[in-house]
Amino acid sequence: KAKQAVDAEVEITRKPRAPRVRLDENRLLSANGIPKLRNRAKHHLKFKGKGHEYSDAARLLSFYQLWLDDLFPKARFLDALAMVEKMGHKKRMQMMRMEWINEGKPKPDNDDLF
Amino acid sequence: MEFGDGKRDVVDPEVRAYVSSLVTALGGSGADEDGRYVLGDDALACLRDLKKWLKLYDEKANRLDVARCLAESNLVGGDLLQILAAWPENATEDRLKLKIALACLELLVPLTWPLEKDTQAMTVNHHRHIPYLQIAQLGYKRSIINFDGARILHTAVRCALPSMAEAIGDRSTRDEGIIKLLLYFVRNIAMIAPPPNIQYEGDEAEISRSATVDAFDYQDILHLLLTVSSTMGEEFNTQDVVLLDILFHLIKGVDIEKLFVDESKADNTKIDELKRLRQKEAAMLRSYQTNAPTRHNRFGTMAWMQREDSKMTTISGQSAIIDSTKSLAKMDSTKKFKPPRKALKGEKGPLDFDTPVMLNVSATKHLRAFVEEFLDAGFNPLFGHLRKAIDREAERILEYHPMQFFYLVSWLLEAERIRRKGKKNSKSQKPEDVDSFSLVASVLNQEMFVTLNRAMDQSFENKSWQDLSAAMKCFTQILLTVQEMSESPLEDDQEIAENILNRIFYEETTHDRVANITRTYKDQGFGYLDSCTELSHNYLRILEQYSKQNVDMQVRSRRRVRRKKKVAKAAGEDQGDDDIDESDGEDESKAEKVSSERKFDFKRFAARFVTQGCIDTFVTFTGYYNDLKPAQLKRAHRFFYRVAFKQEMSVMLFRVDIVALLHKMIKGPEGLDPQASCFKEWDELIKQILKKCIRKMQEQPELVVEMLFSKINSTAHYLEYGYEKQTVSAK
Repeated sequence: KAKQAVDAEVEITRKPRAPRVRLDENRLLSANGIPKLRNRAKHHLKFKGKGHEYSDAARLLSFYQLWLDDLFPKARFLDALAMVEKMGHKKRMQMMRMEWINEGKPKPDNDDLF
Repeated sequence: MEFGDGKRDVVDPEVRAYVSSLVTALGGSGADEDGRYVLGDDALACLRDLKKWLKLYDEKANRLDVARCLAESNLVGGDLLQILAAWPENATEDRLKLKIALACLELLVPLTWPLEKDTQAMTVNHHRHIPYLQIAQLGYKRSIINFDGARILHTAVRCALPSMAEAIGDRSTRDEGIIKLLLYFVRNIAMIAPPPNIQYEGDEAEISRSATVDAFDYQDILHLLLTVSSTMGEEFNTQDVVLLDILFHLIKGVDIEKLFVDESKADNTKIDELKRLRQKEAAMLRSYQTNAPTRHNRFGTMAWMQREDSKMTTISGQSAIIDSTKSLAKMDSTKKFKPPRKALKGEKGPLDFDTPVMLNVSATKHLRAFVEEFLDAGFNPLFGHLRKAIDREAERILEYHPMQFFYLVSWLLEAERIRRKGKKNSKSQKPEDVDSFSLVASVLNQEMFVTLNRAMDQSFENKSWQDLSAAMKCFTQILLTVQEMSESPLEDDQEIAENILNRIFYEETTHDRVANITRTYKDQGFGYLDSCTELSHNYLRILEQYSKQNVDMQVRSRRRVRRKKKVAKAAGEDQGDDDIDESDGEDESKAEKVSSERKFDFKRFAARFVTQGCIDTFVTFTGYYNDLKPAQLKRAHRFFYRVAFKQEMSVMLFRVDIVALLHKMIKGPEGLDPQASCFKEWDELIKQILKKCIRKMQEQPELVVEMLFSKINSTAHYLEYGYEKQTVSAK
């Protein structure tokens, strides 16, 4: 009986560690990810144009920074950018990128003309 | 053995007893002899016994115990150097003294021999003794080159003089051995330096490179080096690699431009340098001050930023309320997470040549004089001989010798170019006074190119980056020298240069290699990054110039060839070449065709550098902008200019991290110094790139996503030309 009690004590139930939050394809393609970026760019990203190159660039950078802060708050801006860039080499991302670009082309069969 | 206080001795006590009794029997100084050193009765036998101990105990059993004991008993400073010093110059005939001096040298060489740490054969003993011995070797070096009573190195040379005086054919194996012993002794002294992870506690100035150069000059070692190298192949044969070793350790890391500054100007440049550095520091402080808080650190400002979806972000500190970029930067800086990073793979041992070395005034003077004399007399014999040995894969060529060879060639070629420049500026020369490039001809022939290409291929394949870096430096300097040759007023030089350039221009494998190396940079360290960007910059630049060579010049060169052939024909040599009969008119049409072909070829070649890999390499390089020299910054500038405007692929630069870097360079914080000479051109370039980027984003909204990623070539082409092509074809 005493032996049994000892055996029971040995079993320690350890809570599994909370999975680490990652900046992966799923996160990048979720509603908060690139779709949101495209959407916001369409409506909120405005430039002043000629003569304001640096302020426009600063605006552009802060646009991306805020988006990344929402998407993956724990990493710094440049680190997060490097992670996103790395994701871009994945097959699925490349397909999505092609799709987004093709959406932008005026006519889908335009390419054949040239 | 355990001592009374419980400490254990690290060396077998018996060994220690034997060795120290030998050291004691060697001789000593006492009050009776006014402190002079007096040899023991059987000193020669003692020296030989010590040598046997080193050989039969340390080497055979792979321990370092005897070396440790000898270091602890101060054999070098207390006995060997005293014995060597007691051999006066006029007693050269004394056979016994010569023998004893030689025996001392035979002990000094293994004691100063470089300790290698990462061999498979390392035992516990090595780990125990090496740190101690490294420090001890520094002490040896200090006492050898700073010995008060006599010129120790000079004495060592005297030991080998009788052997060196023999003609190469008459030398016995023993003579060869003695010469080798001397050269290795010099090599060891040149090589000993504080290891990177150990703080040397004595006076660094006593063992620094400056002290070494000064000692070598004072003790006539530089003369020895010149003599041996200039007669390499005639009087000496297998000693070339040791000489290479010595030269490498003597000049690695020395800044050539500082070496060749005129003495009269040296003071001025020093003051200028001080001024420049003060200005740089002031600019740095200024940029800090604009961001510094204006109130005390417990002032407790708290700001919040309204985000979309009625989200708030709070930021503390006064800088947050100045403007939005600063508050964003502050928000970023409070994040703690760091992605895992790989360490840079750089060499940090004695073979490292990227760490700059400072020389004092007298050492600069001596080394400069030596380098000039070496270029005049020793360069061709030594390096021609070495190149042959490397090609032959001679047994004496070790793994690291090719790297030293390429590094030295690159260093000396650059020195030669800077020296020529100095000469040109000093007085206007008449054409007949101009030196030809024959002083360095031994590394400009076809065989050298073969060796170099093979070395670059091999080290690239084997991922030995340090070797590749040296080979790239060498190739860069050869290119620059050839380019200067093509501008030489001497016709022979021009012709040789043109032939070389011609060959390089049509060698596709070399193109591929240069582009590949640039493309594949990944954590090889800054030295490597510097060499590969320098190579690709100069390679592109020189080939571009060559492709632009106008019709005029080609006509001239064709005429020159024809004239030469005519002369040859007149001299009676029969040559069945029908080129000679061409008229001038044909020349021009042919030249025009060739030049247009070349332009096309160059464009195709330059396109290889517009890949994302190459751009990333240059972006990484530019990331160091605050530590780069003006020439290096210019290199990066030209590359980006080429990508964006000459090759018209600015899309490749439109990536958020690149934009962030470019923006930071100009607008800070910690940007380029606005007073710096290159600031203006960077400002202009970055403005143009950003302008293009903003315009593109408005034209093609899908770029918003692509800004995050590296582009694939087809996409990049669409993004760059997509619409433009349409309008052009509609016209």
